[in-house]
Amino acid sequence: MASVNAQIKRGSAELAVLTLLAEHPLHGYEIAKQIEAQTNGVLRFDMASLYPMLHRLERKSWVKAEWQTLPNGRRRRCYGLTASGRKQIAPLREQWRAFFHALQSVTGFQNA
Amino acid sequence: MPDWKQIVRKNLRVLRACSPEFTEEVAAHLEDSYEALLREGVTAGVAFQRTMSQIEGRRKSWLTLHLLKEELMNVLTRMNGFIRKVALPGLLTFAAYAFTMNAWMFVPAHIHSKIYRLELYRLFDVPFLLLPLGIWCLLCLLPICGALGGFLSQRNGGSRPQRIAAALFPSEIIGFLFLLVFADDFALSRFLPGYWWNTAVVLKEFGLTLLEYVVLPAAFLLLGAGVAEKIGRDRSQTHCNI
Repeated sequence: MASVNAQIKRGSAELAVLTLLAEHPLHGYEIAKQIEAQTNGVLRFDMASLYPMLHRLERKSWVKAEWQTLPNGRRRRCYGLTASGRKQIAPLREQWRAFFHALQSVTGFQNA
Repeated sequence: MPDWKQIVRKNLRVLRACSPEFTEEVAAHLEDSYEALLREGVTAGVAFQRTMSQIEGRRKSWLTLHLLKEELMNVLTRMNGFIRKVALPGLLTFAAYAFTMNAWMFVPAHIHSKIYRLELYRLFDVPFLLLPLGIWCLLCLLPICGALGGFLSQRNGGSRPQRIAAALFPSEIIGFLFLLVFADDFALSRFLPGYWWNTAVVLKEFGLTLLEYVVLPAAFLLLGAGVAEKIGRDRSQTHCNI
C-alpha cells in the first residue's frame, strides 16, 4: 500500500474526522481505528497527531467533547460534531474535490 | 492489567502539571490499544511494548509540545477574557474617575473658595467628614464612573465578581499604590538610620488617606455599579415580560 505524504495526510485528516463524527460521537481511539480500517491503513493516526487535531477542532467549536461512561464502567472522552462543524463538511468536500480535479488536469491521474 | 494512568503520569510529566483531563484521555487510549493487541493474540509483553511506543521518543516530544502549546493558548484565552471583562472596562472607569476627581480644577476660583469655606468639620466632629465639601461633591459623581465600569464589563460578558472588579478598578489601583508607598516607607525606616517614622502618626495619616482616596470612592463606585446592574436587570425582565 502506497504511503501518503504527511502534509496531504494532515490536510485531509480534518475532513475524514468530521465526516466520521457526522454519523455518531466517538472517542479518540475509535476515531483512529475506524479511519485506519476504512482507508485500509493508508490514513493512520498516532496519538501525537490525533489529539492535537481533535483539540484544534474543539477550539474552533467544530466538535464538542464530553466524558461518557461506557457499559463496562470505563470513562471515555467522546467527540461529537457541533452544528458549526456539520456546516464545514460540505465546503471542505468541495475544496478537496476542486483540488483533485486540478491535480487530475495537470497529471492526468484518474480515480480508480 | 497495567495502570495506564500511572504510566502516563510517569512518562509525560508535563501532562501531570498541565491537564489531568488529558492524562485520563491518553491513558484511556493506551488502555484500548493494549487490549486490542491482546485480542489480536499478541503476548502481554509485546502488547505492552507496542503500546508504550506511542508515548516514547519522537511521539513523546510531539505530545509534550502540543500540551505546552495548548496551555499557552489557554493562558492567552484567559488573559483575553480578563482584558475584555475587567482590565479594559476598569481602565475606562479609571479614566472617568481621574477626569471626575480633577474636575475640581475647572471650578471657577470664586466658587472654589466659597465651597472651601464650608468645610464640614464645622458641622460634624467625625474624622472622615473633615473632607472639604468640594471633594464630597466630586465623590457624588463617582457612581456614574462605577456604573460605566460595571456596564462595560457586563456587556463583555463579565461575571458578577468581574463586574465589581471593573467598577472598583480606580480604588484598587490607588489602594495598591498607597500600600506600596507605605511598605516602602516602612522598609526605609527600618534600614535607614535617621529616617523619620512615627507609627502612630503614620498609621493615622495612612488610614485617613485610604479612607479619602480608596474606601469612600470605592463605596460610591460600587453604589453606581449596583444601581446600573439593578436597572439592567429590571429592563431585561421587562423585555422578557413583553
